[in-house]
Amino acid sequence: MPSRKIEIELKNLLTEIAAFYDAKVWHFITVNGIDLGEGKIELQWIFSKYGVKDEITLFYTVTEYETKIPSVVSLIPSATLSEREIVDMFGVNIEGAQKGLYLDEDSLSIPLRCSL
Amino acid sequence: MKKVVNIPLGSQHISLLEPIRFQFTTENEKIVEVGADVGFVHRGIEKACTEKFEWKKVGYVVARVCGLCAITHSLSYTLAAEKLLGYQANERIKYLRMLMVELDRIHSHMLCLAHVSENAGFEAMFMQIMADRELVMDIQEAISGNRVQFDFIAIGGVNRDLTPELVQRVHKNLDALKPKIDDLMERFTNNWSLSLKYKGIGVLTYEEAYTYNALGPLARAAGLKTDVRAESSYFPYEEVGYEMVLESSGDIYARNIVRLREICNSIQMCKNIVDNLPAGEIIEKVKGKPDGETIIRVEAPRGELFYLVRGSKKNLLDRVRIKTPTFSAIPAMIEVFKGSEYADAPAILASFDPCMSCTAK
Repeated sequence: MPSRKIEIELKNLLTEIAAFYDAKVWHFITVNGIDLGEGKIELQWIFSKYGVKDEITLFYTVTEYETKIPSVVSLIPSATLSEREIVDMFGVNIEGAQKGLYLDEDSLSIPLRCSL
Repeated sequence: MKKVVNIPLGSQHISLLEPIRFQFTTENEKIVEVGADVGFVHRGIEKACTEKFEWKKVGYVVARVCGLCAITHSLSYTLAAEKLLGYQANERIKYLRMLMVELDRIHSHMLCLAHVSENAGFEAMFMQIMADRELVMDIQEAISGNRVQFDFIAIGGVNRDLTPELVQRVHKNLDALKPKIDDLMERFTNNWSLSLKYKGIGVLTYEEAYTYNALGPLARAAGLKTDVRAESSYFPYEEVGYEMVLESSGDIYARNIVRLREICNSIQMCKNIVDNLPAGEIIEKVKGKPDGETIIRVEAPRGELFYLVRGSKKNLLDRVRIKTPTFSAIPAMIEVFKGSEYADAPAILASFDPCMSCTAK
């Protein structure tokens, strides 16, 4: 388990991440998605602390696939590819994140959404 | 008037080992914009780990993510599964796993240095480094039975023990390797093509390393003090002489020196490990099925390897999330390319030591 697992509301995502994220303190690891079935997905934003052993902070929210999800790229420039990967794998709608990082047009679409 | 030219590098290119495509926009041969396409070898491994293979077999599946750092993938997954099962490996198992991971780091860094040499025009040196690298491959094969896809790590331990003969062989080969690395250090420090030519080229600054979340040798060459071996307690690295290697200039030269110094440190650690191997079983029975969610980070040769595993006491896992070092390094790579001369792009790329097999997984 991460050291801290913090549930956030999607509407507060950018303000919460902006308040938390200091690039010289926290290393951004990745954005993650976990299909929960019944049209829902858990989205996670994961960070580790520089110079401290095993300190991981994970923000998460549970949302529906159709929901528009704000992008954190304005706060964390390196999140671009992680967001694009989640868009490809789960078919979520992250603002500004393009499809096609891994999947071609004739690939199996949204492969990690279990219900499909 | 500036002449703007769009130049693709890859997906198939003489200076690339693996398929990635960069789209460079250049003004008078200076790179001003960069696009990256990384998905040429996507194999759906995360999906396979949750739909095709039972949790006990996933360690062997993820070892196929990458040929160079297979051991760190199987280690990361195994540590995650063991954590979810409430199992803690004994000290002997930890030491044996740590030995293989550090041997892996040595041969992976040597491969990178070989390609950097080749990019500088030293084809004979490329072949020499690859020949010297066989000293490490030979140890890996002797210990694990395989040169590359060594399924050495298993849930509950490791599959083979270290005999006194193997300990001798580790010493013999690493003793033979050390002067060759010292020689390489001298060449990478003093040879014009490998040092002066690469100083100030492909610079990732200290500030950019933070901004773009650089990791591994790329970050440490820029002075960013980060290494999962120091930020995670999966192995007792402090007992075997681990030292974080830092440089400050953030250029190709610094990345080469970081890798060479890390090879020296890993050689010393491997010798300390085999000399101080604790007693104990090499594999223990682990019962149950993974339940819950856990995160594991391991320092692979290219930097932080991240695994998130979620299970619910079933044979199939709910989620295996893999985040590889090269994938995370791409935004930093793009920044480094901007402002560089196009002619330097292949050398800069080789100095990142990219692994596209890992990245596309």
